Amino acid sequence: MLKVNDLHVRVDGKQILNGLNLEVKPGEVHAIMGPNGSGKSTLVQVLAGRDGYEVTQGSATYLGKDLLSLPPEERAREGVFLAFQYPVEIPGVNNVYLLKAALNAARKHRGLPEVDAFEFLSLVREKMKLMQMDESFLNRGVNEGFSGGEKKRNEILQMMVLEPTLALLDETDSGLDIDALRIVANGVNSLRRADRAIVMVTHYQRLLDHIVPDYVHVLSDGRIVKSGDKSLALELEKRGYDWLKQDAA
Amino acid sequence: MTALATKSVSPNLERIRTAFEQRARDGDPLAEWRRAALERFLELGFPTQRDERWKYTNLRRLEMRNFAPAEAPHVAPTLPDALTDASLRIALVDGHCMPSLSHGVQPPGVTVIGLGQWLENAPTDAAACLGRLGPDPASAFENLNAAFVDDGLVIDIAPGTQFDEAIYVVHAWHTSGRMAHPRIVVRLGENSRCTLIEHYIGAPQIESFTNAVVTIEAQAGACLKHYRLQQESPKTFHIGTVRARLAKDARYLGHEIALGAALGRADITGLLDGPGAEMKLRGLFAPAGSQHLDTYTRIEHIAPYTNSEEEFRGIADGRGRGVFNGKVKVHPNAQHIDARQLSRNLLLSETAEIDTKPELEIYANDVKCSHGATTGQLDATALFYLRSRGIDASTARALLIRAFAESILTSIEPQGLRTTLDNWLAQRFSSTEVSP
Repeated sequence: MLKVNDLHVRVDGKQILNGLNLEVKPGEVHAIMGPNGSGKSTLVQVLAGRDGYEVTQGSATYLGKDLLSLPPEERAREGVFLAFQYPVEIPGVNNVYLLKAALNAARKHRGLPEVDAFEFLSLVREKMKLMQMDESFLNRGVNEGFSGGEKKRNEILQMMVLEPTLALLDETDSGLDIDALRIVANGVNSLRRADRAIVMVTHYQRLLDHIVPDYVHVLSDGRIVKSGDKSLALELEKRGYDWLKQDAA
Repeated sequence: MTALATKSVSPNLERIRTAFEQRARDGDPLAEWRRAALERFLELGFPTQRDERWKYTNLRRLEMRNFAPAEAPHVAPTLPDALTDASLRIALVDGHCMPSLSHGVQPPGVTVIGLGQWLENAPTDAAACLGRLGPDPASAFENLNAAFVDDGLVIDIAPGTQFDEAIYVVHAWHTSGRMAHPRIVVRLGENSRCTLIEHYIGAPQIESFTNAVVTIEAQAGACLKHYRLQQESPKTFHIGTVRARLAKDARYLGHEIALGAALGRADITGLLDGPGAEMKLRGLFAPAGSQHLDTYTRIEHIAPYTNSEEEFRGIADGRGRGVFNGKVKVHPNAQHIDARQLSRNLLLSETAEIDTKPELEIYANDVKCSHGATTGQLDATALFYLRSRGIDASTARALLIRAFAESILTSIEPQGLRTTLDNWLAQRFSSTEVSP
């Protein structure tokens, strides 16, 4: 589904990714771990199409398409979803409006008619219940005045409504207390399907207790230095990242 | 040679004098008033940027032009059917009342008559009223208006009358190359309430000069909601002066929306004359292309226990230039004042410019005054956030621009007016390419 090949990325003149390779197949959940500054966030941002990231070498193909040549909205309509580490507050743009516009943009792209207003609302209400979100959130500005945990839940809510093919989660666990973490993890787990892949970036192992990955990759200096299954995460928890850096060097 | 004599030979002002002499009529009840205003105007001349109130606006483009005074058009033009929810519509075309384009029934307690008609029917009353209301000797354009005014409206709201539907006044241009000096006199009796919408429009090819003046006298406890929507042609010059005097507990809630004109200036003065008087101003100006839109407000807290609140938002695109200059003056002994001002601005291109200048002049000590000003660009992270949800770039941009204007939009009570502005924003910004 996703093939990242020898990806080199520069941000503000600084080399962040240095020949990253990653292959993700449908149904798989991949965790990308690594110390701060190793390039974890850069990877998902560049895959989602954020400005200011200069790809100097390498490629990323998604369902056979050259992902990096598509504008971010096209990637989203093709089924790529990025759950932000810091979801943006947009006062004046209604939450429910954004949800509906996003869903309709994707539907239009697939040649489907716009969603029926009534069906849409009942769908959203059902998902909100799962995320334990109050309905009053719908008519507020996007993330406006939301707490950190509420913002993260809102990201997962959007993901549940949009049903992406490839979900990229950027430090979705950061800033969450244990109850909120459980709610978010349940939301993500409910989306696991044979035809959907999830790539989640995290600094800590604790998220992986709740969303169990098929693969764990360790990123260091912009490259994957070690891959394994979930036991690798436990080892990292015990030993930290330093031993890997030394191995890589 | 005195300064006055030197000024009077300036060809630009000489043209104004000639135009004035050509239209002087015998038996004009305002003859003396007009002549005094003309002399005052010639003495002041067109404001220059040395004048603090005009620091950011160069009037050279206007001054050089030769606009003949507009006559009442012989044929009534077709007006766009905007704001259909107004129950009382009055049309002024080229500055002249057009009864055939006006409709609606005046409810009890509400009297609206043409200024020209008033001058004919009750010349002594009219002259006395206009004499009492100015012009402000410091305002060149108010004096110019007084020298040339021949039509407009007189709106009287009887004490205790609560008219919640709007009086909709559409100022339309039919003839290019003219100048019009309409004047609207609003007199609100004690505890009366009224909404006035003024809509300035003109077809794109019109190159004229509007110099409108609205004076408002609000007696104790009266309230005026006043909306000015300036959508003149992009070649027209627009100077709009509003001067409101508020007695005890009177309120003026104003909206100044400036979208059109090559060069537009709104000059809004509030004189808070009695305790409990309140002035709230909201505004949006959106210059694009090479438009220059200037808003100047002056709020004078003359009496104690008076409040004012201002929120102005500017959105500049292309080579557009916006100006907001908000002056608040608290007079000596005007204690217990609350004055707040907010100026927020959005630049959509590298070449756009907005100048914002708060000015506080405070001569009392028990006063709460605050002001804040920001100027920035669209939030790149918010733009990416929306795009990452599948919203295309130009729609995402339009959404953020609309969000920026949201607080002004939602404060507009008349539905038709709010929709007009909302649609305008959608049209203006959804089709725009992302700025370089």
